[in-house]
Amino acid sequence: MNTELFTWHTQSKALCDFNQGLNLALDSGSKSLLILTCYDNNYPQAQLSKELSNCPAVIFGGIYPMLILQDTLIKTGALIIGFAEKFDVTVFSQLHEITKTSDLEDLVTSTLTKQNNFYGQDSFLMFYDALLNNIERFIDTLFECLDHNITIAGGGAGNLEFTQQPCIFSNQGIHTNTVLLVTLPTKISTGVAHGWRIFQGPLLVSDAEQQTLKSLNYQPALDVYRQAIESYSDSIFNDDNFFDIAKHFPLGIEDINNKLIVRDPILAQQNSIQCAGEVPINSLVYLLESDAETLISSAEQAAIAIFSSSQQINSASMIFDCISRVLYLGDNFDKELNIIAKHCNTEALFGVLSLGEIANSPSGSIQLLNKSTVISSW
Amino acid sequence: MNKALFIISLQHQLAMAIGNKLELKAMLKAFLKVCFNRLSLTSAHIYLYNDEHGEPCKIVPDVYHSTQHLISIPKFKRSKPWQSNSILKQFVAQLHACQASTSFQCENKQYLFGFIIPEHGLLIIETHYFIEEEVQKALEPILQKLATSCYSSLIHGSLVKEMQSKQLIEQKIAYQAQHDALTGLYNRHHLNALLSDTIKEAYQNNYVGSIIFIDLNRFKPINDAMGHSVGDKILLNFANRLNTLRNNHIDIARFGGDEFILLVKRLNTNHELTVKDIINKINYLMNTPFIVNNNTFNLSCSIGYVFFPLQSSTANNLIKFADIAMYEAKRTKTDQGICYQPIMSEKIKKRLAYSDDIKQGLAHDDFKLFYQPQYNQTGDIIGAEALLRWQHPIHGMESPSVYIPIAEESDLILDIGQWVLEKACHDIKKIEQLNLPDSFRKISINISAKQLIQHNFQDKVKQAIAQSDICTNRLALELTESLLVENLETSITLITALKKDGIDCSIDDFGTGYSSLTYLKQIPAGILKIDRSFVTNIDQSKETAAIASMIINLGKTFNMEVIAEGVETAEELNCLKHLGCQHFQGYYFNEPMPFDSFFSLLLN
Repeated sequence: MNTELFTWHTQSKALCDFNQGLNLALDSGSKSLLILTCYDNNYPQAQLSKELSNCPAVIFGGIYPMLILQDTLIKTGALIIGFAEKFDVTVFSQLHEITKTSDLEDLVTSTLTKQNNFYGQDSFLMFYDALLNNIERFIDTLFECLDHNITIAGGGAGNLEFTQQPCIFSNQGIHTNTVLLVTLPTKISTGVAHGWRIFQGPLLVSDAEQQTLKSLNYQPALDVYRQAIESYSDSIFNDDNFFDIAKHFPLGIEDINNKLIVRDPILAQQNSIQCAGEVPINSLVYLLESDAETLISSAEQAAIAIFSSSQQINSASMIFDCISRVLYLGDNFDKELNIIAKHCNTEALFGVLSLGEIANSPSGSIQLLNKSTVISSW
Repeated sequence: MNKALFIISLQHQLAMAIGNKLELKAMLKAFLKVCFNRLSLTSAHIYLYNDEHGEPCKIVPDVYHSTQHLISIPKFKRSKPWQSNSILKQFVAQLHACQASTSFQCENKQYLFGFIIPEHGLLIIETHYFIEEEVQKALEPILQKLATSCYSSLIHGSLVKEMQSKQLIEQKIAYQAQHDALTGLYNRHHLNALLSDTIKEAYQNNYVGSIIFIDLNRFKPINDAMGHSVGDKILLNFANRLNTLRNNHIDIARFGGDEFILLVKRLNTNHELTVKDIINKINYLMNTPFIVNNNTFNLSCSIGYVFFPLQSSTANNLIKFADIAMYEAKRTKTDQGICYQPIMSEKIKKRLAYSDDIKQGLAHDDFKLFYQPQYNQTGDIIGAEALLRWQHPIHGMESPSVYIPIAEESDLILDIGQWVLEKACHDIKKIEQLNLPDSFRKISINISAKQLIQHNFQDKVKQAIAQSDICTNRLALELTESLLVENLETSITLITALKKDGIDCSIDDFGTGYSSLTYLKQIPAGILKIDRSFVTNIDQSKETAAIASMIINLGKTFNMEVIAEGVETAEELNCLKHLGCQHFQGYYFNEPMPFDSFFSLLLN
């Protein structure tokens, strides 16, 4: 597939500069635009929304903490990738209002049927509001309604302050509580890695409710977690430093094939731990650790896996890299980007630092990941 | 150690996922989703055993049960539902046949594992890896628990179904209690309840409402002639038309038969005008003909109305008053609707009292039959018309034009008609015992519409004849032209049947209207009676003579005898003779006379 891409970026926070880029993208004749902007731009929402609504090309994307272009980390500014094809974008909005699974199924089925992208499509990108409370129920339902053997890559939009603000772009403007499903015209392939390893466990999740881990081994979850970390490392928890320590010691849910699904502990509430993803009751969890070298090496393995195995000539590669990896790696994060870029064989490499990543599990189902790198190429 | 822990944790998780929902499919789906995540499945499917109605069931020993697909996650494979996938179908068939856990490696290196959900169905899971034996074994107690939960869900489902059908029945009963079965409009019972509430509301909120009573005109003949199925279709059509007037302030009910009521609430200050407007709308709805089975019916209606709480504040009275007003509208043949006035009730009371008088008159033998002889051209008596006379104890000799319409409104006309029939037969018997001349033929009596449509009228005539033991050809029945036209089918059937028994019929008041020629040849009556309006002063009016001449010629054409009634002068008689009329009746010959006088006349 030979697709000429339009690529434009700015590190300016000014909306007028973004508008200039948008005009250039439209002038390029692109029919679909992936628009990614940095949260720190603080673009005036109403104006940005108006610009998007008036845009004649198909729009998808969102506001992320940071962006990636080739091997460069963009902390402010915007990135526009223009595609020659008209992509099919399905918007699932107001999802937070749906509490019943059956209603969610009805919505997903009817929306997909209406958009006519239900049958025969197997490659998708997904952009979603990271603070959407029922994202895992949504992806479960989506998998159930989509065809067997679909491939998907995606990442949660938003900000590191964890305050919910409109962050998803479509031709209708900027949205909260929304998922965008973008149907790609060519087959997508993905590589997934996290680089975390077990240092303690297993612990039985004796009580949990969705993302809230209430007890481990029948003890208050926070107590168990804190004691385990404090006895293993030099870290001492106080009232304010939970995330500063916890970002180094995520939890891992082990599946039947000994693969770990990482869950990022982001908040301590009373004696519970709030994770960036569901932790099933009665599952076994492990305490994980890593180091810069291992994390970067895992990203490299993912890059090698995807770029060396691809059977087709791809034009675009997109990374959904967890923001917590930047927080953990600090200046070393450039190494991760360099190493991915080094292996990349497509015309354009771009991406986002996301709050939660979406990819297929080895079995094919759709999973919400934490602290992971998802590299996609099409 | 960790493997054992993992298996225990897996068992716990799967066991916890069972029975979280009551409904069977939802329960199984919740279980399947947990299986999916914990066992890293690629796809998962549940098939259940079915009973003979295709419903999921617990299997009965020694009975073959087919399996039916219930759930697949995901729903599709290569754009087609999983249940149509040939590999899965084959695997299900194999699993169903062997009734033991089994596995299969597909060409794409994927694995299919099949498990039995004891006595309920099959679980099939697809993986990208081989599930170890100990994990497979660990699933067995889970599937046993799942089977128990399936059974509970089936029981729950049947209870829910039972409750739903009970609820449906209750709803249906509640609906039927309030609605008319044919039209779906409110019924009389519910209207009464609604009206009582509305009256209270009108009092509390100081507003005026109205009851509009509608009765279809001349609906009964359609029902009688065309059958109830046609009548019902017309009623349903009319009800649907009326329903277009329904809104927050207008409720519509079928009161019974062809009677409908509009309950109008919250009329504005000019309530008379508003009701008139509604009546105009009702009449507009009637303008379009009713077409049933390719027959077109043009109908009209009579409308009476009353205001509440101005004219009454009880539901029964309001409906009664609106009915009385409707009756008045029908009597006066207006389609504009008439508002109830108390004087109408007075009139009704008087009529009721008069009806009582008629009953008393019948009981006390105050009614008499007078006979007016009929003559041929040579002056011989050929028969007579029996005419009813009533000696009212207070009013003296009462005119039939006063009491017959009142009697016709009730079934009293049937009692009177029966009395006339029996009395005439009794008198004929006496006459038959005389040495009658050959020219004397028959005595005729007048028949009312209500008598005619009695299903056993013919039997009653024959019974009266048999009771008095007279010759059937001595009695003739006179039916007015209007009566015949209104009940054409019934009349033709009856006259034909009576003719077979030797009882002749005559068409009375012929020429007084209607499209005479169109039906005359269909009616097998033997006698035409020229109405007195075409006899009076016939000698002085060419037009009258021309009509009479035409009727006489018609009679000849259809081979009917023609008799002129109301002959009062020699000039009229001569003129009629000249025109070819053969038989005559009237004051020129005799006034109606008591039987004894008529008997003496015959005797002489």
